[in-house]
Amino acid sequence: MKIDFSHLTQILQRFKAKPYKIYPVLTPHTGKIIEFKIKEGEEVRGPSGKWLEKPGTPLFILEREKNPKLIRAQYNGIAQNIRTDLLNRFVEAGEKVLEIKHPLSQEEIISEVLLNALLVIRAPETARYILSPELGKRLEKEGLGKVSVKEGDELLIMTFMKRETPIFLKERGTYIIYQIYFKPFELVQAGEPLLGLCPVEDLPHLEKIIQRIKAEWSL
Amino acid sequence: MLVELHKKLKELIELAEYIRDIKGEEFLSIGNICNELTDFYHHFYDYSQEKIISFIQSYEEKLGKILIKAEETLTPYEIVKIVRHPQRFTLLDILENVYDSYMELGGEGELNIDPAVICAKAIITRRVGDEVYFHQVMVIGHEKGHGEEFRRGGSAAPWGNEKALRYMKMAETEGIPIHFYIFTPGAYPIEDYPGAAQQIARNLFYMSKLSVPTISFISEGGSGGAEAIGLTDLRLMAEKGYYSVISPEGAAAIEAKLKDERPPRELVEKMAKALKLTAKDNLQLGTIDRIIPEPPLGARRKDYEFFKRLKYEIIKATDEVVLQTRSLKMLRKYALSKQNFENFSYYVNWELSEDEKEILIENRYEKYRKMTQWAVLEPKSFFKCLAQRGTRLGQSIAYEVKYRVLKSGQKTFKRFFEELASESSLLLKPVSDPIKSVYNLIVGKKIRTKVRMPGEIEEETEVYVSPLALQDRTVTCPQAEKFGCPDLWVPDLYGEFCGVCPNCGYHFPLEYNWYLNNIFDKGSVKTFNDEIASGNPLNFEGYAEKLKAARKETGLNSALLSFEAKIGGISVVAVMLVADFRQGTVGVAEGEKFIRAVEFAKVSRRPFIALVHTTGGIRIHEGTMGVVQMPRCTMAVRDYVDSGGLYIVIYDNNSYAGPVASFLGSAPYQFALKSTRLGFAGPRVILETTGQPVPPDYHSVENALKRGHIQGIWDRRELRKKLFFALLTMGAPNLYYR
Amino acid sequence: MKDKVLIANRGEIALRIMEACELLGLDYVAVYTKEDEESLHVRLAKKKYRISDYRDMNDLLAVADEEKCTAIHPGYGFLSENYRFARRVVKRERPLIWIGPTWEVIRDLGNKLYMKKVAHKLGIPVIPGSVEPIYNEIEAELKAQEILEQAYEEGFEEVSFLVKAVAGGGGMGIEEVKNLEEIRPVFRKVRAYAKRLFGDEGVIIEIKIPLFQHIEVQILGSKHGEYVHFGTRNCTIQSPFRQKRIELAPGFYQMGQYNFDPAKKEAEIIEHSLNLARHFNYDSVGTFEWLVTPEGKYYLMEVNTRIQVENEISAKISFVKNKPVNLLKEQIRVAFEEKLGYSQRDVAFKGMSLEFRLIAEDTKRGFTPLSGVITRFDYKEHPWLTMRTHVPKDKPYTIPTQFDPNLALAIIYGEKFDDLMEKSKQFLNEIVIEGHTFKNEPLVTNIEFLKEKLGDVYKFLSI
Repeated sequence: MKIDFSHLTQILQRFKAKPYKIYPVLTPHTGKIIEFKIKEGEEVRGPSGKWLEKPGTPLFILEREKNPKLIRAQYNGIAQNIRTDLLNRFVEAGEKVLEIKHPLSQEEIISEVLLNALLVIRAPETARYILSPELGKRLEKEGLGKVSVKEGDELLIMTFMKRETPIFLKERGTYIIYQIYFKPFELVQAGEPLLGLCPVEDLPHLEKIIQRIKAEWSL
Repeated sequence: MLVELHKKLKELIELAEYIRDIKGEEFLSIGNICNELTDFYHHFYDYSQEKIISFIQSYEEKLGKILIKAEETLTPYEIVKIVRHPQRFTLLDILENVYDSYMELGGEGELNIDPAVICAKAIITRRVGDEVYFHQVMVIGHEKGHGEEFRRGGSAAPWGNEKALRYMKMAETEGIPIHFYIFTPGAYPIEDYPGAAQQIARNLFYMSKLSVPTISFISEGGSGGAEAIGLTDLRLMAEKGYYSVISPEGAAAIEAKLKDERPPRELVEKMAKALKLTAKDNLQLGTIDRIIPEPPLGARRKDYEFFKRLKYEIIKATDEVVLQTRSLKMLRKYALSKQNFENFSYYVNWELSEDEKEILIENRYEKYRKMTQWAVLEPKSFFKCLAQRGTRLGQSIAYEVKYRVLKSGQKTFKRFFEELASESSLLLKPVSDPIKSVYNLIVGKKIRTKVRMPGEIEEETEVYVSPLALQDRTVTCPQAEKFGCPDLWVPDLYGEFCGVCPNCGYHFPLEYNWYLNNIFDKGSVKTFNDEIASGNPLNFEGYAEKLKAARKETGLNSALLSFEAKIGGISVVAVMLVADFRQGTVGVAEGEKFIRAVEFAKVSRRPFIALVHTTGGIRIHEGTMGVVQMPRCTMAVRDYVDSGGLYIVIYDNNSYAGPVASFLGSAPYQFALKSTRLGFAGPRVILETTGQPVPPDYHSVENALKRGHIQGIWDRRELRKKLFFALLTMGAPNLYYR
Repeated sequence: MKDKVLIANRGEIALRIMEACELLGLDYVAVYTKEDEESLHVRLAKKKYRISDYRDMNDLLAVADEEKCTAIHPGYGFLSENYRFARRVVKRERPLIWIGPTWEVIRDLGNKLYMKKVAHKLGIPVIPGSVEPIYNEIEAELKAQEILEQAYEEGFEEVSFLVKAVAGGGGMGIEEVKNLEEIRPVFRKVRAYAKRLFGDEGVIIEIKIPLFQHIEVQILGSKHGEYVHFGTRNCTIQSPFRQKRIELAPGFYQMGQYNFDPAKKEAEIIEHSLNLARHFNYDSVGTFEWLVTPEGKYYLMEVNTRIQVENEISAKISFVKNKPVNLLKEQIRVAFEEKLGYSQRDVAFKGMSLEFRLIAEDTKRGFTPLSGVITRFDYKEHPWLTMRTHVPKDKPYTIPTQFDPNLALAIIYGEKFDDLMEKSKQFLNEIVIEGHTFKNEPLVTNIEFLKEKLGDVYKFLSI
């Protein structure tokens, strides 16, 4: 385990100073923004419900080829820096339309801190990734923190240079899939985290760290 | 003495409160009377005995009068309240008081696979002169009292209905009659194995041909849940019972298009009336056979006179069913005899011989075949009627000759076909014209050994273009977020893609005409019985206008199309429930058309295919007239399947409730297209009934497959090929082309 | 109104289309994705839009509408041979000119089985094999037997089969079978693969031509029924995954050693190609690919209904009325319904040309495509050398990971064969591509592979 408690305190201090994250909302493709559904400073919600079955707050409508598409919030937070000047204008793909100032929840702090504690599988290339189908199924069924993998298991599939390349676990031992840091089919920059794994034997220590974060963060 | 008076006073309070519960506080100041009675009760020991006696006497009189008034002004919704009242008698009261001894099977109280369903071996006795005769019967029914906390209000879980079926089979093995007691607001709408809809369908399918006399008694007949044990030779109903397609509250919520709020009281009462759910209404509609009278405001747990009456009626009903299989003369004699509650004139042996069993099942089929037929709207003259009968008969003979005679000759290629099949290969080509070569095989043409070099390139024949495709716009696949699907250009989507997202396989809904034009051979679809129209048998307010609008919009007379068609040259009879007409709901017209189509498939020995474009269940505006289409159609299905037919159901879009729980769900072969939602009740009803939300994919085909409901998931782009393959490989050898 | 072309492609072909538009005095709009921001085609385009994906038809058409474009050039790859896109472009409420053959032609010639049927009908030789998709093992075995007999009749000796997924392509879904007993299991395997990957179970069986040269004919047709050809190309040198690496024009070296008369065979192949083009009313640039055996037998393989990467080597050796040709320019001109203005008699051939495809790939490790950063990209200018590249010389360039790592095309012209070989060698020695991968290893390219294979030009090879 790569983290001790003094280090942990430092990291937590950093988050306490800035307990939020800013997510840009980009246009997924070209088109015309025909309506804004929110105003500056309004609260928005990401997908919710037990199965995330309730979609997020509508943000704006992007119309392209006569298909008005409702773009919804993916995170909870406050809508800010809304580019109302883009209304009724043709926008390119990947244009920033607004930001969501997202207050970090205890869970997310844990997830961020764990980047320093877990065995993190990082993107070997700037590419698109999905979980290996088998692992995906197991995770869907059992959930994070339950599924174990061992050396040689297929973890992810990378779509790169028009080829699908499987990514295997190279480390020895048995690990628990603890965190997922990417969204399927989205472009991940090389070096960005994909998965966080915890060696089975370190699980108790990890639980302690999490307890500690929980205690500190609720203060 | 004082003790007795105390007891009497308590009973008076119970009665007053009962009247108050049913009729409301305001009714003849019953609320005040209740208060006065309880007041007096609290100070009971402060009063003199004389005072108490006179008080009780005066209130007895008062309540007696009120009771009569209450009975006179009884409304349908008050009847519903009677049925739901905790003081109403339940099945265990019947077992205690109607039967002479009983033993509960497969569970007792809470120790039960499903405490909402009781199965018991019971003995019922009759006195004929000085002799006492014993009859063994199986009693199956719902229990909602005597432990309300675990009875789930009498809603049978899927495994509860499965248990019921097991004991039906046991009774059949032992050759004893079954008495069914229906006390259910509806089935518990969960999909866990064996599945709410599936199990009801299985029960109906089996009950169609149960070889023992079956009698049902309805106190609370909640739609599909009631039918699960309600397909019987004689249907009795309590005078203050209700039998309905949906609860008045549910109907009101649908009528007012409410989502979460409660429907207004006036609307609920209006619906209770409109649904024609009382015993009297049902007798008039012909959905039940007989009413068992009850005391004013209905029988409660201690109405022993009522139980005596019920005992007499249930024995008499069983006798009649048995005698109907024997001699009409005897039956008449029996009917005319002077019998009373205490003493029967005859002893009837309830055991049936093999011949009698056959007659019993025939009688049952006839009974259900005739049910609701009076309400079938079919414009035809007397002559046409006669002529039709003639052709039907002629047809039957013609088919008989054709296929009996041809049969031996067809054996040869059948064997050839079997050889090929055992090679796990059927020379099947799925794309453009896959079907001809296989059909040629079956009708005995040889395979070409030389590869055919096509001389002329086939010109494209005229293709059916979905009207949905005729727009220059794009749409987003609903699963785009999960699978990264690109937006789809509508002409591609509804054209070559058959409404299927090429990236993730999501199936967009298509109009019903698409199926008629793309699944069957070009120009082979010939509809029949188009003139049979949905009517308004209950005179449900506003329904006639809705039907008129649906007719105008669709050009159809009912939600069910029945037609003959060909797939790769194989002639089939098919029906299709069409979403455009009242969400593909089923009423009298749809049921009748379905049965006629099945019967047609049976006489012509053709496969029978039911395409479900969408079905929203039984149409509530036709009340129990709609509900009984479940047993009616299932009987026809059973008859067809037993005769060696091939019945295939294909679900698309949304398929829920009654039809799935009967004539669709009882099909041996059921397949669903990829994005179908399939089940008994929708997520909201489940939440309301169980208090638990269900995951968004609860009704998905993947889960339906996992639970064993369907036999496979099909892709719409391959529907024609898959159907053709199914026609070749499934079903009994009685089909005309085998 | 002045015509405006939407360039629906990236990299060097986008640059060549831009150049052709400028030559014709047409406006154009370029598109690019986030990953391509550093590409030269983005830097040099005057008007450009960022889109989500080069394959996203909706983005392309939205930009075309926004910019009031009147035509769309698909380049090669991506949507260039997608008949649905071509159809949508011309059938939508605001139609655009499709710079390429009509969608029907793309569909019909893109369907290899259909193309084979038509070719057979016209008396054009196709590789012996099934002409309809096969869906079951018995049929596969019967068919294989029949193909075998047919092959023996035609004088083939050791015959092996290729079992191919109908919907496959680019080396995917192809298995070789050496004897008849293996047909069933291999058939099942390919069928399952095809079903999984392409959603269509159809499989065909062909004989494998053991030794061959890959010859292709460059055709140009107009909407006025005019047809010319710009000779042949030889693309026999390929990667093991059947991707071209060195191309030469003309397709036959007239001074070479053949067991047949190369001029006669070339004329026949060209004539067959023109026949097929006429049959389909082919009205754009197109390439007809053939396999030629050492015995001089030839078989039509497929038709590419788009501009080819290697089009320029044909242009280099062709002269119309003594002037050089630009095939992209010609392609755009005919799309705008112009007449050719010349006939085959006006086309003269002179000299030889060769093209190298410079690619970041590890030829020693299964030709794995590589990504990374190019820090130095340098070559000497020569009058006989044309470089087609989107990689800037003046600053580092990150190879995007979403596309093939093609870096540049080097087109070399020589009067005579020896002269051409000399210049080619010189080029390969002079070119410098340096860089590193993300793992900080030196970036490998296929230059060494090209040097090695240069000795194989105009030879009969096997794959």
